[in-house]
Amino acid sequence: MEKNYESKFKVEFLSTSGVYKTPFTVIILFQFFIGGIILVLINLWFSNHLYFLLTGNQFFLMEPRGEWYEWLLLPMSLYANILLFAFSIILFSAGIFKVLNWLHPPQEGVFKKGSKDWKYMHRRFWTAYFPIWLARAIPLPWADIVVFRFFGIRIGKNVVIYEGYIDPEFIEIGDFTMTSLHICIFSHLIYQDKVLIKKVSIGTNCIIGPQTIISPGTIMQDGAILGANSYTWVCQELKSELIHVGTPVDKTFPIQSLEESQLKAEKIKKSKVFDGQHSKINIEKGGENK
Amino acid sequence: MFSPASLKGDSPTPIDERIRNKYIVIYFTIIILSFIPCSLFEYLYFVFFWKEGLYWMFFLFFPFNILALIYILQFSAIFFSVLFLTIIKMIHPPREGTFKRDIKDKDYFYWNLRNIAKKWPLFVNASNPFPWFKNRFTLRFLGTKIGKKVICDNTWISSEFVKIGKNVILGMGSTILTFGIEQERFILKRIVIGNGVIIGAHCSLMHGTIMKEGAKLSAHSYTNPNQVLEKDSIYIGHPAKLKRDI
Repeated sequence: MEKNYESKFKVEFLSTSGVYKTPFTVIILFQFFIGGIILVLINLWFSNHLYFLLTGNQFFLMEPRGEWYEWLLLPMSLYANILLFAFSIILFSAGIFKVLNWLHPPQEGVFKKGSKDWKYMHRRFWTAYFPIWLARAIPLPWADIVVFRFFGIRIGKNVVIYEGYIDPEFIEIGDFTMTSLHICIFSHLIYQDKVLIKKVSIGTNCIIGPQTIISPGTIMQDGAILGANSYTWVCQELKSELIHVGTPVDKTFPIQSLEESQLKAEKIKKSKVFDGQHSKINIEKGGENK
Repeated sequence: MFSPASLKGDSPTPIDERIRNKYIVIYFTIIILSFIPCSLFEYLYFVFFWKEGLYWMFFLFFPFNILALIYILQFSAIFFSVLFLTIIKMIHPPREGTFKRDIKDKDYFYWNLRNIAKKWPLFVNASNPFPWFKNRFTLRFLGTKIGKKVICDNTWISSEFVKIGKNVILGMGSTILTFGIEQERFILKRIVIGNGVIIGAHCSLMHGTIMKEGAKLSAHSYTNPNQVLEKDSIYIGHPAKLKRDI
């Protein structure tokens, strides 16, 4: 039984995670609309107060009336509007996401194009798209982590994920993990008219190098390091306290302490291989031998 | 789909510095011209709302005014750059081939001019909240052919000599380059991607690559220049090699 479960996730090639444009994509306009209405209501309240302070009259009778210190909010109004727009949409779409999860709980497995799971996957992705875009457009670096937590990714303390693509579900990241620039963490994979969904779990104290791809089903144990420019295959396991390199990952190196690596570097410097004149000769000889 | 704004950026197409310094006037005129509809809109907004008894409406619609301004700027940037592009293409129609990387070479010169004209709309439209706005909408005006039901929102696609078929999936962060620079030579060659092709994440296609119907390129691999990927087959590696037929 277990063997069958494993073989279900065997793939010949890695593609990407991605979603088609479906009728449900209109939800972005709906989210825009909700954010806009909240903006209008708050601005109406604010402009009413300012008008009262200027003239002594009100457009709409409101209690409490404007106070003098509300003038202090005027220079902030543009930036506050941006933050208000973003966070109202984030909260609203987190609600939609929970409703979708209640209607059809997300599952791991392989699903055909057009099946119920496939449709709900698209719906979840499109609800998550706009709030995450907003969170990353705001100049608050922690905003996107907060939003990912809203959408059901478990992210620990002091985690660095600013510059990369991350799927909005089936991902678990431990404390103190650092990720580098231009990474992709996929828990979904498009595979010949099918979608493959498997949970990715990343432990504590992990380091993920730049330009890497983590494909679905990858398990990174505590303290594992993934080197730059490498990628993992589906359902691969990276063992703890080791450096993993390769396309896909096939080599491992032990993690050295700083003193050890400095000693090694000094040895290499002293040896003739890296000496300016000798190195040229070595390269030429190598060429002859071949 | 969720890549941060700092990674989306503008086009990385290099523009020769000798040409850029002389013809930066075109770049600035496109920017200034594309702001004219914005200022017209702003003028109308002031005339309409800045009256006695309507001040509150002025402040109420101010955030929406700015939102509308951004969209007007993005559409007008496309319009004016297409206007300049058609003029440049009438003077010297674009063609494929290997050329000398020199200002006196006409093809190389006009390729750079075309890139100057395209720079501003591609830069502005990268900051649109709708994911399909930059690639599927803007690039179609600038001269690429992209079919229906294509996932291509997070790839960097060259803005000319590219033809993409139907039902194609292009990966996260992959690049499609139709130009190549080899020392003193400059190469422009068409890339054709057939129907139902799947390209993985972090791939790069070099100039002259032809992907036939149903070909698949695995993630994190690149193709050689002028490589032909056969029908219904899987390619993988650096550079891409045939894995096996389905």
